[in-house]
Amino acid sequence: MFRFQKEQEIVDIAGVKIGGQPGELPTVLAGTVFYPNHTIVKDEDKGTFDKRKAESLINMQVTSAEETGNPCMVHIFASSKSSIKKYIDFVSEITEAPFLIDSIESSVRMEGIRYVTEIGLADRAINNSINMGITDDEKNTLKDSDVTASIVMGFNAMDSSLEGRIALLENGGNVAEKGLLQIAEDCGISKILIDPSVTPIGNGAGIALRMTLVAKAKWGHPVGSGIHNAPLSWDWLRNKKKEDVMIYKTCDIGSIGLQLIAAGDFVLYGPIESAPYAFPMAAMADIMIAEAAADFEVIPSEDHPINRLI
Amino acid sequence: MGEWPIVKGDYQIGDKESRIGIVTLASHFELKQEELKKVAIIGSCKTENLGAEKIITNTVSNPNIRFILLCGNESRGHLSGHTLKALHANGIDENGKIIGSEGAIPFIENIPENAIARFQRQVQIIDRIGETNLDSILQIAEEYSKRGEPYPEPPLVVQTVKRKKRRKTIPISMAKDIMISGNVVLDSSSGVIEICSGSKKSKK
Repeated sequence: MFRFQKEQEIVDIAGVKIGGQPGELPTVLAGTVFYPNHTIVKDEDKGTFDKRKAESLINMQVTSAEETGNPCMVHIFASSKSSIKKYIDFVSEITEAPFLIDSIESSVRMEGIRYVTEIGLADRAINNSINMGITDDEKNTLKDSDVTASIVMGFNAMDSSLEGRIALLENGGNVAEKGLLQIAEDCGISKILIDPSVTPIGNGAGIALRMTLVAKAKWGHPVGSGIHNAPLSWDWLRNKKKEDVMIYKTCDIGSIGLQLIAAGDFVLYGPIESAPYAFPMAAMADIMIAEAAADFEVIPSEDHPINRLI
Repeated sequence: MGEWPIVKGDYQIGDKESRIGIVTLASHFELKQEELKKVAIIGSCKTENLGAEKIITNTVSNPNIRFILLCGNESRGHLSGHTLKALHANGIDENGKIIGSEGAIPFIENIPENAIARFQRQVQIIDRIGETNLDSILQIAEEYSKRGEPYPEPPLVVQTVKRKKRRKTIPISMAKDIMISGNVVLDSSSGVIEICSGSKKSKK
């Protein structure tokens, strides 16, 4: 195992601590609800869904989190301005966990950011994300909001190399006038979570792992990713899934371990239905990392899986 | 024509002599064998960057394809259909940005400009974005599958910029910012592990 020379920041979002040296804090895991084609969603534009099933899924994640000691967050994905508000209302009533506001459409994310500010839930919200496509409207919305936590995405569509991703965050590289980290600070984001961006397998998915190390070494911010997107985007694996779904599931859940051994602090593990598998995987990796880092004088937190499950 | 398609993806292959390729954007259709005879290739395209690159790569490597039918539901936020139209009409600027696209991150990274120019010359875009009726889609495929002649140039096999980049190596800086043990340190940028007490270096 290893220890970063740079002091590692720990951010606190609604009581959930993310970051630190390897072995210090348990990995924070976020399961996604209301994602495209999620069977509990009846109408993605109106934001109607099966509330009983949604509650059951969110509670299932909480149960997994309480069992292993890995804190959880809820990754809310919405398609419309109407649905994002309904989803936030629902999730924030069911659980006290932080939640991520996510949508492909920036107008939907902005609506979510404005809404949590309006109803006083900004301290539990994480914007997902500040990326190379950020518009002036988004910047202004974040500036005017009370939201202080955001994922900053290292996806550089012009240069997906490690250097290109780092440059995008540091100085804008060849696609932006300013680095995304500076833009985040300008927008009032004090709790920065870096996502190195897991591009499809064959298009640099593995670079995200090395960037995790580099970003923590360079800036000390917490780093994590939606690494399940690597197996999800793998055509060969998709075909194998037709033969045996366990082949896919093994790679899907196993990818969490890869992110953690590369010093990841948080993982967006995909559909929340995977919680019963994702949390033990993360707990096992966390325990082994904590054991390996023990002689660095890294003391695992009280709720760390090594103190709960061993 | 050599091995085709060049890049893998979420698609079905039909008759590679057909003049038409179908991009179903965010929708997915599973064609029967008989239906596949009408098309060279049919598949989805959900992203406005990597997805668009795959469409171009697999199109310019098959001169038989002269028409690209855009259909199915638009990919929300990404606007991959709108972006493919903009790319075909306007190309890219000096930064690789697709001119006129309002997609989230409409950039081309991994294919050279000559492939984009070839895509613009080789095919016409048939815009039926939003059409999700498979019978209507197959009717268009039928109409165009034998129309016109193949493009009068050999297949353009894209040597991706990405592959060239992979051959690059980065300078070793030895910033030693990650400690592995008392005297073993790792430079996160170069990926090199060094033993501090001696000069021996080993690659991770």
